[in-house]
Amino acid sequence: MKTRRQVLVGLLLGLAVALGGARWLLDEARLAAAQAQQRRQAVITAQALAEAVQRAGGEGDAVRQVVVRLAQAEPSVRAARVVLLDGLRLEASTAAADAGEQAAPRRLTRDEKPLFDQVQRLRAAVDTNREDNAARKEEVEVARRPDGGLDLAAPVLADGSVVGAVLLETAAVPVQAPRVGWLPVLGLLAVAGGVLWGLSLLIGERRLALVLVGAVLVAGALVAFRGFGAGVLGADRERVEQVVATHLQQQAASVFSALEPSAAAAELDAAAWDVDAFRRPLGLAKADGTIEPHAVEAAVAAMVQRWSSFFWLLGSVGLLLLAYFGLGWAEKTWRTLVKHREGYLYVAPAMIAMLVLVFFPFFYGIALSFTGQTIYTTDKSIPEIWVGLSNFVEILGDFNVATRGPDGWTINYQNFYWTLGFTIVWTVSNVSFGVTVGLILALILNTQGLALRAIYRVIFILPWAIPNYITALIWKGMFHQQFGVVNQVIQMFGGEPVSWFEKPFTSFLAVLATNGWLSVPFMMVISLGALQSIPADLYEAARVDGAGRWKQFTSITLPSLKPALVPAVILSVVWTFNQFNIIYLVSGGEPAHSTEILITQAFKLAFEQYRYGYAAAYSVVIFLILFLYGTWQNRVTRATEGI
Amino acid sequence: MSDRTRTGEMSHLPLHVFLVVYVIVTLYPLLWVFTIAFSGQQSLAIADVPADATFWDRARAIVPWPASISWANFKAVWTEQPFGRWLLNSAVVAGATTVLGVFLAATAGYAFSRFRFPGRRAGLMSFLVSQMFPGTLMLIPLYIIIVKWLGLGSTWIGLILVYATTSIPFCVWMLKGYFDTIPKELEESALMDGASVLTIFLKIILPLAKPAIAITALFSFMTGWNEFIQAATFIDKELMYTAPVGLRFFVGGFSQQWGFFAAGAIITAIPVVVLFLFLQKYLVSGLTAGAVKG
Repeated sequence: MKTRRQVLVGLLLGLAVALGGARWLLDEARLAAAQAQQRRQAVITAQALAEAVQRAGGEGDAVRQVVVRLAQAEPSVRAARVVLLDGLRLEASTAAADAGEQAAPRRLTRDEKPLFDQVQRLRAAVDTNREDNAARKEEVEVARRPDGGLDLAAPVLADGSVVGAVLLETAAVPVQAPRVGWLPVLGLLAVAGGVLWGLSLLIGERRLALVLVGAVLVAGALVAFRGFGAGVLGADRERVEQVVATHLQQQAASVFSALEPSAAAAELDAAAWDVDAFRRPLGLAKADGTIEPHAVEAAVAAMVQRWSSFFWLLGSVGLLLLAYFGLGWAEKTWRTLVKHREGYLYVAPAMIAMLVLVFFPFFYGIALSFTGQTIYTTDKSIPEIWVGLSNFVEILGDFNVATRGPDGWTINYQNFYWTLGFTIVWTVSNVSFGVTVGLILALILNTQGLALRAIYRVIFILPWAIPNYITALIWKGMFHQQFGVVNQVIQMFGGEPVSWFEKPFTSFLAVLATNGWLSVPFMMVISLGALQSIPADLYEAARVDGAGRWKQFTSITLPSLKPALVPAVILSVVWTFNQFNIIYLVSGGEPAHSTEILITQAFKLAFEQYRYGYAAAYSVVIFLILFLYGTWQNRVTRATEGI
Repeated sequence: MSDRTRTGEMSHLPLHVFLVVYVIVTLYPLLWVFTIAFSGQQSLAIADVPADATFWDRARAIVPWPASISWANFKAVWTEQPFGRWLLNSAVVAGATTVLGVFLAATAGYAFSRFRFPGRRAGLMSFLVSQMFPGTLMLIPLYIIIVKWLGLGSTWIGLILVYATTSIPFCVWMLKGYFDTIPKELEESALMDGASVLTIFLKIILPLAKPAIAITALFSFMTGWNEFIQAATFIDKELMYTAPVGLRFFVGGFSQQWGFFAAGAIITAIPVVVLFLFLQKYLVSGLTAGAVKG
């Protein structure tokens, strides 16, 4: 009974997850299809408009008239504009803003430069694609506005070259797709569960056989659901093609009547308006309302393929759940959980928070490092932008730290190895400075009978207490070339003012001074704490044995400091290595990224160059370095012994 | 006897000289901020230096005392700038981060210290390893999760969740180290008297661990109060800025409002500095206990 129940639970859970996932993906695929339909119709509208503009002569009152008529005839058009490159003209416009003073035709204003740039881009794209005889750059630009409407730009040609573009804004219509509902999923669950139950009566309580039957059922259910989904997507697509064909007919009719009675209206080929982003005809629907069956079939097959490309993953998850429950591991886990329930209960809140907001983002970031994710591809899934190891090759394989020019060597400050070297120098010099000064201050403050000790101590702790971004901005102000106090002091003694952030070395001195100032207190407090915990009679005994001051220092003080100082140094190395605020706010990497540390460089790659995938790979490399350091430190200090 | 004391005091003189020099190094940047803040102007310069400046003109420009004392910058950040609102944002975020962070760290630290269960070592190590995750590696995914998926961009809750989790590993390790030093006999006798685990945790462990809890609270509060990068990334509404983002706003980009910055920096830094100095007696015991054990 127990075995059967376990396998049954595993099967149902595995199927629920696998089929639930497949159903969710199906809904997503249908939504994507609905969005594609919206795009396609909008492209047809834009292409029809572009064709009408071309046939109306490309400029003048005829064009304005055609644009107004077409925009009125098509309810999905919110605004249509025609921009011509020659004379930077807004030739026609139905936009509400372009009325009265602003009415077309007129010259583009300075604020409208993006429109001009867009048309230029289209012209370059058409030329490039024609020269290369390939589809490289998009000849029709479609962007989705946050309100759900689309912004399109389609080129207007004269004698084969781009002279302008039609800019179309479609109305904000929320795109909706019908949902599948849970019925098919529940049906398949019931069938699979029933079959397993029935067979278990024949097979008996043999665990492995039951699990194998369950695995077959999982695979079978997924295949069945794929068939069901293929039917749904096919029916959707059939409907879409009908709608698009109707839309084509309407557009053809509108263009024809808008151009009437001139001869330009003759021989319209509306099917040529149904194109992809490179203005290649899709060849699916025709203006006479018929549909190309083979092309549609192929399109449906591609959709089904894309939808089911994650089935192996869903299937594996389902099988894992089946095995986990069916083979009795879940039971074992449950027993462990119950046995140690108090421990797990106390750990759970922190663990869940860490899983959701630390470990999951971490692994997601690692996944991103294998992609070419940029700000322009955030709507794409990870497999679509997968680039393998090429980010890492680009970072680690580039050894051009310095190049030899006509006037000597120039250092390539953007190179990874320069930044790594700088980071190491930065870390080592800061930590040594902090330990040395901190230890000296602690030794002085630990002197017996020193007056004002408490006051000194409070003052010396202040840099630690002040938020470090404030410290950074203060020092940045003090290192100001013209008004900064540091340069005033230099000039006071007859020196020349230094432009601190124009040379790598002086820039390094500035950040070092800032970080040194704020990292001394930590080391001082740690050392002082350790010093005070050394029993005075140790020194007493040493003095009795005739040990001198230096002898006492090396054989009592230093060894007693070690247990406190070593972890503090480890901690401080990691902190300094990752000291983002000081570098970012004081030098900002100036000059020319020469004083960038790894972490600020990664940040700039992500949030100034928007190369998310590359920046993620950079961060993974940083993590590996720190991880190696941590492992090495662990081995050296055995810090984690006996946890 | 008196002779020995005098030589002792005499030998302290070079030490005091050294200490006083270092006191000046430590205090100068702080006095500089006060000078700019009370100058009533937005300029970086303490005093105007003429073109052919003498030694004494330059000396005047480095003495941290404003030409005329004015509260104008302090008044302006409250009235003309939305600085009060930014402070409120920071206070709410940091306060909630402290409560949540201490709760999460204390429970987990207690479990790691007192219970032996499968996965304990792995859990502790995973917390330690997570400390090495570079902030920028986390920033992009966190941005997607907090802003895109959960829709918590420009909200208090988004920042509170992120800050509280960021502070967990350090606090857990520290509290675990401290709990380890509390003798088990106390709990065992309480167990004999029939106390529950929750009672022992609340009535025995937590009161005994006050110094470590104080450090944890301080650390969590500072994480929330001082954090700058994530706040700058997750928040794009000016009204929802935290104080750090607001202060950078004063002197970042083309803005050169050093007077507002200095006044704001003083207002922002005072609570943490006071808190820090107030709690610093726990610092050594807490940090070294955690650090040496860990």
